[in-house]
Amino acid sequence: MQITPIIGLEVHVELKTKSKMFCGCDASHFHVEPNTHTCPVCLGLPGALPVPNITACEWCIKLGLALGCTINEETFFERKNYFYPDLPKGYQITQLQKPFAVNGKIAIDGHDIRINRAHLEEDTGKSQHVGDTTLLDFNRSGVPLVEIVSEPNIVSPEEAKKYLGKIQQIVRYLGISDADIEKGSMRCEPTVNLQIGDSFTPLVEIKNIASLTGVLDAIQYEVDRQSKQFETDHIEKNATNKTTRGWDADKSVTFLQREKEGSADYRYFPEPDIPPIVFSPDQIDAIRATLPEMPEAKIAKYKALNLSDYDANLLAEDLTFSSIFEKILSNSTNSEFAKFIANLLLGPLKTIGIDIGKINPLYFKNLYDKKADLSSSAIKQLVLESYQTGANPLLLAQKQNLFQVSDTGAIETMAKKVLADNPKAVADYKKNPQSIGFLIGQLMKASGGSANPKLAKEILEKLLK
Amino acid sequence: MEIKDLTINDIRLGLKNKKFTAVGITQEYLARIKKVDPQINAFITVAEEQALAAAKNLDNKISKGEEIGKLAGVPLAVKDLYLTQDIQTTAGSQMLKDYLPQYSSTIYSKLLAQDAIPVGKTNTDCYGFGVSTENSGYFITKNPWDLTRVPGGSSGGSAAAIAADMAVIATGTDTGSSIRQPSAFCSATGLKATYGRNSRYGITAMASSFDCPGPFAKNVFDLAIVESVMAGKDPQDATTSPLPVPDYLNEINNLNLKGLKIGLPKQYFTENTQKEVVDAVKQAAATFAKLGANIIEVSVPDPNIALATYYIIIPSEISANMARYDGIRFGQSVSGTKDLFNYYLETRGKFMEPEMKRRIIIGTYVLSAGYYDAYYLKAAKVRTVVKEAYQQVLKGVDVLFAPVAPTTAWKIGEKVQDPIQMYLADIYTISVNVAGIPSLAVPCGFDNQGLPIGLQIIGNFFEESKLFAIGHKFQQLTDYHLQRPNI
Repeated sequence: MQITPIIGLEVHVELKTKSKMFCGCDASHFHVEPNTHTCPVCLGLPGALPVPNITACEWCIKLGLALGCTINEETFFERKNYFYPDLPKGYQITQLQKPFAVNGKIAIDGHDIRINRAHLEEDTGKSQHVGDTTLLDFNRSGVPLVEIVSEPNIVSPEEAKKYLGKIQQIVRYLGISDADIEKGSMRCEPTVNLQIGDSFTPLVEIKNIASLTGVLDAIQYEVDRQSKQFETDHIEKNATNKTTRGWDADKSVTFLQREKEGSADYRYFPEPDIPPIVFSPDQIDAIRATLPEMPEAKIAKYKALNLSDYDANLLAEDLTFSSIFEKILSNSTNSEFAKFIANLLLGPLKTIGIDIGKINPLYFKNLYDKKADLSSSAIKQLVLESYQTGANPLLLAQKQNLFQVSDTGAIETMAKKVLADNPKAVADYKKNPQSIGFLIGQLMKASGGSANPKLAKEILEKLLK
Repeated sequence: MEIKDLTINDIRLGLKNKKFTAVGITQEYLARIKKVDPQINAFITVAEEQALAAAKNLDNKISKGEEIGKLAGVPLAVKDLYLTQDIQTTAGSQMLKDYLPQYSSTIYSKLLAQDAIPVGKTNTDCYGFGVSTENSGYFITKNPWDLTRVPGGSSGGSAAAIAADMAVIATGTDTGSSIRQPSAFCSATGLKATYGRNSRYGITAMASSFDCPGPFAKNVFDLAIVESVMAGKDPQDATTSPLPVPDYLNEINNLNLKGLKIGLPKQYFTENTQKEVVDAVKQAAATFAKLGANIIEVSVPDPNIALATYYIIIPSEISANMARYDGIRFGQSVSGTKDLFNYYLETRGKFMEPEMKRRIIIGTYVLSAGYYDAYYLKAAKVRTVVKEAYQQVLKGVDVLFAPVAPTTAWKIGEKVQDPIQMYLADIYTISVNVAGIPSLAVPCGFDNQGLPIGLQIIGNFFEESKLFAIGHKFQQLTDYHLQRPNI
């Protein structure tokens, strides 16, 4: 029977605003001493009131625009009521009826993943269970989160992973979040069930996924588990049998956390402490104008420069990297030059973590113009040294004697000596011309590596005729 | 003139002219509290130490010739819903017994910045849930005019403190009646300002979209001074209005009585209202008619509709606002429960007052899935209708005159068994809260038992100036506000 996974993703992205969503506290919380970035508002003390962070609102709209969403000009916050010790007010301020952004999409390999909404809310504190004690840290309480909810039209674990990767790329492009899954600044909760023939298996929401691969593995595990389960019990989805399962990355299994999720009642109602928020069409256009060129557009542009699909994708992967590429390229349309830069950026410079401020486009141009006189390993070495020291690579090449000798006379003199010193190799060559490699090696060695290898070969061949 | 009869400006001038010292006045008031309050129970906490420290500080300022604030040396009673960093704040609830806040409410800070002297924290129905102080988690405040009667509520402690001369000014909060009704019952002067005029930051929330902090005083002129300090945009309260605060004192004598239109909403003068109350309010209108004002009968939405709307929306907001009282970060809590769920149950079960539980239960119910549309959403729509109707009526007249409450103060215990009767006591004040408009309560007479009657002067949005001018004029023409209980 035909089995089709039905996958929807709820993705939480923590915004890297300076202050929290509803108070002036520093929003950083990773490796910060517990309960030092707190105030009456984010501790939910009596009498404290939330005041919305306008930058966070603008960033949520920005993300909505980047996801191709429609922006609601008037939005409001709502209270989602539930008790938990790390939720200090006993309700979370979030959005239900009027999110900032609705009806967007992301294309994954030509398939549009529809986005239901992107809304703004506050994060909770952190509970840490130590033995039978629970420690509470409210540094994260009130940190702004955007929740991006997809429609359930993701059809495979691979597509889910790519979709998540794409969101990560977009928010990083926008500079609104580090979107680091391992650090928790990006979180993903897939909801998975299967269509088997005409039947649908019960919905399962998966929590505690802490890596991109985890998304793939957890969904794959659920797909397999549900299809096996259905074979034995034939239980179909209904309004009350949604369950929540946790992902155990060590054992690579999901395990049951909560049953009857459908019955939770959060008693949402409009947040009376915050008046509705209105952005005029002009204000929304002004935010739109701040959007950077998005990865899709960049990839197309790079491919037009004859870069390979692979290289174009790699360069467009993050905005800093592609900005460096474009800075060096300086609007040149020379595809040879583009490939030359791409090779250096994706090769020697990729590993060291470069700073765009320390990049001098002119040096790259200089190197490119002299590339015929330099070995490829010399170019790699020079680009690194030049980046690290700030010196002109051509000057470095001269000092280190890296320019290849293309003086035919000088090479011929050395070649004659090499031939005289290696009669056995010369004899070998007569029998097998392929063995010239050894003689070229000797000649390069004699020149201290500075001979142009192409020229060296030509001269040796001529002398051996 | 006795110290207790001094107004804000009398005190300020007396201090400037070195007729007396701030410490002297403060001691006098503390002595009066010590003498009188055991009969009244207006204060949950008397802040002797803090009051004397503030007074000493002020005297130092004066001796150094420094500028002094608008409320210099004025004894201030603070409703115990206002967070005060230096004085324990209970909100009238056992949940917050001995709670010392980490910060102060905006209004309290503003009042202190003008050199007011905080003499103590006054009793209130827990979190403001009531109209008599009988829902306080501590004790019942007695009406200074008749110790067997309630002082009104929820700001009953503040009103009683003013009436019994234990403070010159006081703070209150008015969500459904809680400044105006105790003002009426105790013969104090009080203002429910336009929603958004005064900051709610640092005041324990009851129903966020209704709560209106405001002042009590012995007369309208003093009240206008206090409100001029309280009012204004607070960056920490997103619902405060950015509109500039008018110079109330400059405008208080700016009243043209000729052609002033006073509306009498017929729905407020029914047979359910005590006859003496109806007569006193109509008499107040007649006082202005003699001076050239036009008295016009008008029609407003049925107050019962506003009451029903109110008792759906406020418990909804309350049910969420009370969730933070979970015993985890502050307040009283139990220990040794078997799990988290039972920790919540036992802590909230033990320390929450019955009225608190009642409102949480009602609010939780009306917000539940399946009921939200029928209750909350419908009530929210009716609220808009009521608001628009009042705005419309107030286009045709300058102000509305109405009774504050259908009756004068009732006997302690008379209504405690019947919460609905208690809720109905707010019938004439709640529409104003549903609409969000301002209303001034001033004394306008006494019934045949000698119990005070209050007049409401209701205006359009942000028209506090007009209310002060009319109320001030009324107090120049009458002496009800000068009468004092025999205590």
